Formats: sequence, C-alpha cells, structure tokens
Amino acid sequence: MSHEQTSLAFRENSVRALKDSALRAAMKQAADTFGTKRADAFAPVADLEGLRDRASAIREDVLANLPTYVDRFAAAADRAGAVVHRANDAAAAREIIRKILADRGARLIVKGKSMVSEEVDLNSHLEAAGMEVVETDLGEYIIQMEGETPSHIIVPAIHKNRRQVGRLFADRLGVPYSDDPQVLTKIARTALREKFLSADAGISGANFAAADTGSLVLFTNEGNGRMVTTVPPLHVAILSIEKMLPSLADLPAFIRLLPRSATGQPITSYVSVVTGPRKTGDATGAKELHIVLLDNGRTEILAGESRDILKCIRCGACMNVCPVYRTVGGHSYGWTYPGPMGLILTTLLTGMAKSHPLVDASTVCGACVEVCPVRVPLVDLILQLRHRKVREGFSDAATMRGMALFGKAAASPALFALGQRLAGAFWPLVRAFGGKDVAGRMPTPAKTPLRRRLP
Amino acid sequence: MSAADRERLFLENAAIAAAGTHAVWGAGELLAALRRVVATDSPVYCPGVTELEKAAAALFPVRAADYAAAAVTVEEVFGAVAETGTLVCSSEGGRAVQAGLLPSHHVAIVRRERIFGTLDDLFAAVAGAPPTNLTLVTGPSRTADIELTLAIGVHGPERLDIILV
Repeated sequence: MSHEQTSLAFRENSVRALKDSALRAAMKQAADTFGTKRADAFAPVADLEGLRDRASAIREDVLANLPTYVDRFAAAADRAGAVVHRANDAAAAREIIRKILADRGARLIVKGKSMVSEEVDLNSHLEAAGMEVVETDLGEYIIQMEGETPSHIIVPAIHKNRRQVGRLFADRLGVPYSDDPQVLTKIARTALREKFLSADAGISGANFAAADTGSLVLFTNEGNGRMVTTVPPLHVAILSIEKMLPSLADLPAFIRLLPRSATGQPITSYVSVVTGPRKTGDATGAKELHIVLLDNGRTEILAGESRDILKCIRCGACMNVCPVYRTVGGHSYGWTYPGPMGLILTTLLTGMAKSHPLVDASTVCGACVEVCPVRVPLVDLILQLRHRKVREGFSDAATMRGMALFGKAAASPALFALGQRLAGAFWPLVRAFGGKDVAGRMPTPAKTPLRRRLP
Repeated sequence: MSAADRERLFLENAAIAAAGTHAVWGAGELLAALRRVVATDSPVYCPGVTELEKAAAALFPVRAADYAAAAVTVEEVFGAVAETGTLVCSSEGGRAVQAGLLPSHHVAIVRRERIFGTLDDLFAAVAGAPPTNLTLVTGPSRTADIELTLAIGVHGPERLDIILV
C-alpha cells in the first residue's frame, strides 16, 4: 500500500485525531508509561550527563567526517564479504532492492522494523513487483494488516488498543477473539514462524553501522531482527548514511543510552552485530548480504544550518514527552517521522512546500531537548525552520500582517499601551461577534496590564 | 571489579531481565541443574562440541538433529556481561547463533571466567575482529507493542535459563 504525504493537512489531521477517543486514551496511557519507565531506567546510571556528552561528541564527529566514515564503512563491509550499494534517493533505493530480490527469484520476503524503508515506501514497490512482503515486528505486523503506517518510530501501533488488535486478528487470521496481549502475541508468533522458515529473503534496517569493521548493529526485543538477518539465505539491509559510528568500540555508550531513552530498558533483549555474510566455516548468517546506503537528501542537510538533526539516533524519547505529539498522535504529522525530530526531518527531507504546517507543531517548551540522549538542539532547529518558513513565504498573509503589526506595536511603548487599551475596550465585541470559538481560545485581557503593575 | 563482584552483578542483572539463573560448580552440578531445568522428554538440540556440552548431551535421550525442530537448545555460549546481565553468543568456530533463537526454551551454559565486567570490556575484546554474528542476549524475547503491555516470547525464546559453571 502506498501512502501519500499529508503533512500540509496537519491541522485537519489533528482535529480528526482529537475527536478519536480511543486514540486519545492510548496516547495518554503511553505518555504516562514512557515517562516513568525512562526515568526509572536512567536513575541508576552514574554520570548520565557525561555519558550524553560523550555520545553527543561521537555523533558530532560522525557528522564532521561523514563522507570519510561512509567510505570507510563501505570498504570494511566489502572486505567482510557484503555487497554495498549507494542510493541517492528513495526511487534508487527501491529499485536497487527490487532488482536484488527479483534477480534471485525471491517471492516471500520477511521484513524487520525499518523506518528508512518506510521513508522510501519500499513495501508498495516490492508488492507491485509481485512479491509478498511480511512485516514481522509485532507492531508493524498489526498496522500492515490494517493498511496503516507507523504512528511512532519505536512502537508503530501505539495508537491501537488491545480490543482493536483482537478484532483485527479475529477478522483477518480467523482466530478466536482475544484482547489479551500475551495471547495476541502468541498468535502472531505462530503465524509468522512459518514465514521466517520459508522466506526467500530478509530485509532489515540498522540502528548503527560501525565504520571500522563494516558491521551492522540492530537493537531488537522480539527476535524478529535476529530472524530476518540469520534465517533466510539472502539479507538486504537498508540504512541512511548518518547511522555511522566511527568504531564498533563506540557502541557501549549507545547501548546504555538508546534502549533507556526508547523504552526504559537498560538494554534491549537482543543486540545483533552482523559483519558480512556467512563465511567458510560459519553456521550463522545469510549466504548473501547486501547493504543499501541511502542518502535521500542527507548530504544536503549536512551542508546546511539544520545539520544537527542528523545526530538523532531515533530513540523516540522526544515524541514521548512532546505535548503536541502526545495530544494528536503520530499520524497527524502526515509522513514517516512524527514528533519533534520527525517534524524537523520531514520538513528537511520532503521540502517546506510539502510540510510547512509542521514547523508550528511545537510549543517550543524544550521537553524534547531535556530528554534527547545525544543533545540534538531540537528547539533551535524548529525555530530556524520557522524563520525559513517566513523567509520562503509559506506563512499565510493574515499571520504575516498580524505579526508585522504586533512587531511595530511591541517596539513602541506608546503603541503597545494603545493596543492593550483597544483590546480591553473591544473585548466584549469580540465575545459577542467572534463566537464561542474565538472567545474560548483567547485569554480575556486583564483590567490592569502587567506592565503597569510591575515596579 | 573482582571476579566475585562480576558474578554477583551478572546473576542479579540477568534475573532482573527475567532469565532463570543457576550458579553451579563442576560438571556434576551442571548435570543436576540441567535435569531440573530441562524437560528431558522434549526434543533437545545440543551441539555437543565443547567439554561442557559433551557432558550435557549425555542427559538427553531425545536429541534434535536440527535446532529448527527442537523445543530446547542447550549450549555453551561465548561469554557474559555483568553490567547488563547479558549473554554473549558468537558465530565464531562455526557456532549457529540462531540455535538459541528458534526453540522456545534456551539454556545457556557460561563459564565463570568468561564474564566481562562492562560492555566496554566486551567490546574492547571483540571489536577488533568481530565474528560474522555477535548477538547480545538479555532475558527472553519480549514486546510491548500492544498497549505497551509486556508480553514474553514473540519470535525468540519465551524462556531463558543461564547456568553459570
């Protein structure tokens, strides 16, 4: 199924989301759960700030020398026996992967969770070529069955409750209805096990890539990541170029930060380090490993003022604490990546023309900056994008006129005072004629302005 | 970190991650622990390569030739990490790392001297020339994809037992 970007309709999407009581309940529960789990997980970590500084410095070094690390990774992966492909954009990545699979006659493909594959809309392309693509992460499996996209980068089906999943499984898999997550999980295990064992190929993403050894690193909890990378004879990994780490020895800092930030776990159940395909004497690994390195606009971002967003390690902590995300959910953002990191990345990757309402989808409260494990300056980046939005003429005329007027008034104490008096005087009229909508959203002007009450 | 501290911390953290933990001394106690942990009438996959695996293999009348057909895998693993209660499985020496993934019960034997104190210690030892597959295993397979409610045993083992020898 192909999914069109709907970021321009962020406001309409949000209004619809706000009317969805099941979604709001799910988001509320998620916010509460994530908050406590993350805090509990970091509590015993000594020198957390030092750890964040080190991880941030490593990510900065990666960005400062990205082409070098990408080349180094490609050479090391090649030495380890993998075939490395470079894809400049989404279409190129889709076509490279389709061709690898088609050339080998692959028909059934099991897939691990990969946001980059969502970014390039890989599944629809492979399905159009007649292949069966099965998402195997439980959350992805659920939304694939429903024909939806992920609403969270870590927990893709976070917008669904157990009864909705139970009804979906009963309808589509012909199993008795249950709303017990443990029972539903077992149903998925059984349904997917035979897919793993009969698949012609596995497709995975990667959380990191070690430039010195050419290794792919995958953090998973369910074991599907291990399955898709070791059970089928062919493994295709797709990752964006900024996932580099200088060295495999840098990994411990990120093992300590990523799972704690994402799900509040000290480490995921599984951390897989895959270095090349199966070699002589090995009993593990796909016989063939292809690695697709996706640029899709990253090199351009790297050269611009928003480059720091490429430090992001995709933990999802920023969305879990974001008051906007927590209220409207991930689908409202209308593309692959939601929340604070998502709105920045979406605007940069798809262009202001397709996404400009997103840059206002933030209260700039800074909660995201507080939790970001690698110190991405999310609020600064959002403010930069707002400036760009104005510069590039994407703000609507009424807002621009209003802001220009306010700017003049704010620069002149006399005009400002006049404005305050006028607002107070006309407020009853606004209430009377503007309707409940305006009056409900606007605060009533104070009788005595704060300015005059201050010494 | 002393050897005793590493052992204590490893067992503590592995238990927090919902692994069964058993600390024994010598091959005799290992066999006794295996008898307690493994249902001997279920098909067991045991590579029977290392000394401890050879000792263990004698216990199981029903041996699965292939891990994909087994209900239990009993194997000695590369090592462990105290910091996180993690098992380290390596494909080095022709080990099938996925043998600890497919069956619903994974019984991992670890030698005490193979416990690394921290993740840094482990990666300092392996990062120079990593094997084709190095998998860190912490507790059983799990998910919280439905309402963030923990469910155990998605695609990997629903039960993980660690026997420290």
